[in-house]
Amino acid sequence: MQPTRILQGMRYRKLRLTTKDVNKGYYKGTGSGSMGRHTKHGGYVIEWDKVRTYVCPPLEGFKLTPFVSQTIRPQHGIYNGDPNGPRNPELYLSRWKSENGFD
Amino acid sequence: MASPGAVRPSVGAALQSCLAGSAACSRNAASMMPMAARIASSTVRPVRVQTAALSTTASLLKRHKYPGARSNRDMSKRRGESAIRRTGTRWRLSVSDDPLPQPVKRAELPAIETDPDHGLWEFFADRNTVAAPPEEVAKHGRAWMVEELRAKSWDDLHRLWWVCVKERNRIATADWERNRGKLGFGKSESGERDKVVKKTMQGIKHVLTERQYAWEDAVKLAETDPEIDLSGEGPVFTPKEYLEAEDVLVESETAESTNDSTEPSKAVPSETTPLEPNPQSSTAPRL
Repeated sequence: MQPTRILQGMRYRKLRLTTKDVNKGYYKGTGSGSMGRHTKHGGYVIEWDKVRTYVCPPLEGFKLTPFVSQTIRPQHGIYNGDPNGPRNPELYLSRWKSENGFD
Repeated sequence: MASPGAVRPSVGAALQSCLAGSAACSRNAASMMPMAARIASSTVRPVRVQTAALSTTASLLKRHKYPGARSNRDMSKRRGESAIRRTGTRWRLSVSDDPLPQPVKRAELPAIETDPDHGLWEFFADRNTVAAPPEEVAKHGRAWMVEELRAKSWDDLHRLWWVCVKERNRIATADWERNRGKLGFGKSESGERDKVVKKTMQGIKHVLTERQYAWEDAVKLAETDPEIDLSGEGPVFTPKEYLEAEDVLVESETAESTNDSTEPSKAVPSETTPLEPNPQSSTAPRL
């Protein structure tokens, strides 16, 4: 059997590597992510902690939409000139204390 | 087996008709006979077919003597059969007399039953039109600002995310249908709508990441805070006023009022659970 024309001669070397090319442990992933680990016998064990699960909550009665009315002009938050602003841990802590410090 | 005196049916028949003397017959006979036979017949002695009394040989020899009759057997048993031209079978079958079922006309077919509450209907904004005209698609608002999303609880953000996912699915379905059916314009408006939804989703992700980092920093800070005890024994938060053994009622009121005055209203992420366990959980009323 002959390879197709694109794989003959020097043209193959200009193509991008695939998962089937190269020995010596060359690994190329496919973008699906790691779901487990390989066993020493060549198998694969799935680790369910690594497996992605997509949870869609019930959406009955939910009124928010992806859009906001154009009449509501955007307003920026007030952080009193704090460069950290929303990331400020003191702010976070003080708010936490006021809102749910007490059970 | 055939006797030496017997002649091949076609030739014999031709000869017979020749011998009968009819002019038409002789003409037909002459045209029927192959060339060799024609040449030969001029020299061959006229041979009469031997028939006994009550014999059917003569009549049998007259079979298949029509114009265009074959001189040899048809070795192709299915000659002329065509499904495309609907010729039917060449030979009769045992089922030839059974009437074939006729298909129902398309107009008379019963309507396909669909479930009006099926989940797949959610891929379409309007189930009677697969893709809305561009003017309708362009009627949408702006994306959520990060500042607006910061005020939302985990549950609201989670549900808003999935609402955005479903909207993007609807937009993609409409795009697909528009391409497939060559319905016309609308790609650009669809792209703009998709951009807005994606911007909202980007904002949600940003807010949640920000909240996570702020929580981690706050935990670190809380370890040095005298009012907070993260060991797990006793209450987590004991405010200063309480430590100084003031009036219980007063202390809780002052704690809330002082914190109310200092903190900005919309800026802080709404966090409603204790520090240690899940940082992003169920909602609580905002201030």
